[in-house]
Amino acid sequence: MKRQLSDLTFSLCSTIALTLLSIFILSGCGTSENNVSIGNRTGTLHWGNGTEPQSLDPHIATGVPEHKIIIALMEGLVLKDSKTLEPRPGVATSWDISEDGRVYTFHLRKNARWSNGDPHNAHDYVWSWWRALQPALGNLYAYMYFSIENAKEYYEGSIKDFDQVGVKALDDFTLQVRLKNPTPYFLQLLDHYSLYPVHRQTIEKFGGADERGTRWTYEGNLVGNGAFQLLEWKINRRVVVERNPHYWDAENIKLNKIVFYPTENAITEERMFRAGQLHYSGTVPADKVATYQSRNDPALHIDPYLGTYFYRLNVRVPHLQDKRVRRALGMTIDREQITQRILKAGQIPAYAMTPPNTMGYFPESDLAFNPEAAKQLLAEAGYPNGEGFPATEILYNTSEGHRKIAVAIQQMWKTHLNIDVKLLNQEWKVYLNSVSGRDYEIARAGWIGDYVDPNNFLDMFLCNGGNNRTGWCNKEYDRLILEEAPTAKTHAERLAIFTAAEKMLMEDMPVIPIYIYTSNNLVNTSVKNFNDNILNQPSFKEIYLEADTGVEN
Amino acid sequence: MAIKELQPDEQGTSLWQDAWIKLCKNYLALFGLAVLALLCVISLLTPWIAPYGYEEQNLLLGATAPSLEHWLGTDIFGRDMLTRIMYGGRVSLTVGFIATAVALLIGVLWGAVAGFVGGRTDAVMMRIVDIMYALPFMIFIVLLMVVFGRNILLLFVAIGAVEWLTMARIVRSQVMSLRKQEFVEAAHSLGLSEWTIIRRHIIPNTLGPVIVYTTLTIPSVMLLEAFLSFLGLGIQPPQSSWGLLINYGVESMEEYPWLLIFPGVALSLTLFALNFLGDGLRDALDPRTSKD
Repeated sequence: MKRQLSDLTFSLCSTIALTLLSIFILSGCGTSENNVSIGNRTGTLHWGNGTEPQSLDPHIATGVPEHKIIIALMEGLVLKDSKTLEPRPGVATSWDISEDGRVYTFHLRKNARWSNGDPHNAHDYVWSWWRALQPALGNLYAYMYFSIENAKEYYEGSIKDFDQVGVKALDDFTLQVRLKNPTPYFLQLLDHYSLYPVHRQTIEKFGGADERGTRWTYEGNLVGNGAFQLLEWKINRRVVVERNPHYWDAENIKLNKIVFYPTENAITEERMFRAGQLHYSGTVPADKVATYQSRNDPALHIDPYLGTYFYRLNVRVPHLQDKRVRRALGMTIDREQITQRILKAGQIPAYAMTPPNTMGYFPESDLAFNPEAAKQLLAEAGYPNGEGFPATEILYNTSEGHRKIAVAIQQMWKTHLNIDVKLLNQEWKVYLNSVSGRDYEIARAGWIGDYVDPNNFLDMFLCNGGNNRTGWCNKEYDRLILEEAPTAKTHAERLAIFTAAEKMLMEDMPVIPIYIYTSNNLVNTSVKNFNDNILNQPSFKEIYLEADTGVEN
Repeated sequence: MAIKELQPDEQGTSLWQDAWIKLCKNYLALFGLAVLALLCVISLLTPWIAPYGYEEQNLLLGATAPSLEHWLGTDIFGRDMLTRIMYGGRVSLTVGFIATAVALLIGVLWGAVAGFVGGRTDAVMMRIVDIMYALPFMIFIVLLMVVFGRNILLLFVAIGAVEWLTMARIVRSQVMSLRKQEFVEAAHSLGLSEWTIIRRHIIPNTLGPVIVYTTLTIPSVMLLEAFLSFLGLGIQPPQSSWGLLINYGVESMEEYPWLLIFPGVALSLTLFALNFLGDGLRDALDPRTSKD
């Protein structure tokens, strides 16, 4: 019975699909060539970028879609190897590290240029980092600088003189950086966009150095030092970058152009990929993963990804102030079901913020799926059997993937705690504003590692961390992360401090970790030299396009 | 006494009686009426006759094709599709009827008055309609929702409040042509008040196109609701409507076709029923067709 019915529906569906397909073909584009084959011929990479970038200012942007565009437009002192993530020379050809690991001296290349041809030297870094630390700029990533001597003090205003911050141009091509403590991940930080240099003349032409949202990042204005330069930025349509002729390594860049498409709907993006409109798509709808897997499609890349999907709880909201309520919410999410039944692409249930095996670090956490204990906690907090629990909303940015998880969690809380929560979706920029303005109760979030170190997942919950956004503040936690961990003598001791800090975080639970990401990419087989790494960071410098003979249509 | 003798033996039938008799002879229209009535009854009784809860999940089960336990299959959360379609019908039918009724009320009155009074009043009224046409109606609805909050009943009214424009134009053009006709002139010369003429002569004569347009408005309103809900302005999960179910079904139509097909069938069935009924009603209500 079951079999027959499903066969019937299948044949019905395929008839409809065929009809639709023929309509598309008949009414569709006049040319038979798609983006991918044209791109392969002209060296244009068509990149599905998820969503419209919030900003292309490296000292303001915080999201992953922005990251992908900014790394094409700008470059830091040090790059990462696209396979091993080892440091590789960027603007700096070489660097010396002092014996105590606290003084880094970078030797900059003499042929580095901005995309308008201006010389690019060590003074650019001093000015750019000064800019990034201006409190008025509202740089949410300012804490990335805090390993540099006096950077935190300067940012917080206890030091007024920037000369005391540990950044100094010894001459035009030598930059010296003094750190507060030996920081094992410092070289990795330099490849993060918050430490990228920006072009002073351009920024000053369009407004103050610490002014947000000026027109310097717009089409025709933006000057960068990366392998590509901004050609076109059409809101909600595309961002186009072209090869920068002034780039120091320009002769080794093989791509002529990259077109970034903001497609908020993962299903649409997957269809664009299948129709040959995109070379790359960074999200695969959960239901489609199995389809690709079943036919062993070489386009599907599923790899470990250093990122955590979690829910932020606004601890300033009265009923979420009680940590028993937050714990109860965290304990009634059945993560196994979510990863196995909804996501289905190898994601790992998360019971702590840091993904396991981040530089040898395995978080310890007493968080588990335990509805009975959760009910008890909720009753102790004054809501026996969920009675009188105030109206609460889960906020997520518009996406079918986030919706599915929210729907499942909504029901889990209903079943196990007998509380009703509502769902609210917002477009990406509106959502970012709501979350950073703490205008939410529970909000979906994802944190993708900027560098491979547990510090990256834990220091965002410092009291004044720009990416904290929960209102949670614990002085002891701050002390562990800012003072104890950086001065630890051995790697093991450092990890032990992180373990203690993470336990505190999970005990208070301002965030509910849900799962550890996997990177699910769809990459056309004509894209060569695309290397998977756990940061899912592409190297546009290395990628080239080469159509497979015979497969081309 | 003399007057009494002059009365004919046969009683004249009213427009409505006449229409009902004609409608009863149109089997297709009756079929449409029956289907609609059935859908309304099912929707009303849903909380008592639905086989499962509309939010009842079974993640272990996941998406399954139609079977004996779940006649129309289950969605990826293991929720019974039959139940969800039944509950979705409640929302969709309500939004369809309420929003269309609002649109009908405003549109017909506005268009009839503008067309009948004419002159400067007509110009002002129709310019207002033009201005509202020029406003992107999505922005208009979004504004209404932001000002009045996310309330389902308000959503219905908000949709109705933007859907009346075309109706007003159709009615106005009909009225314009009617008001110059002899029977209206005759009514004028008999001294009937303007309002009585609108009510007794103008509106019944415009019913044909209005009914046809109404049957087209109902499904478009249902889809509009789905769109707004998708943007987070209408109803929110786990609640559902046919439009939303179709929207979600499209996402995985290759993997789980039944998630798209069954809500689609429900919506199409309603659409067909409405069209048949509308067609029949138009024929039955047209005062220009001869009486048998």
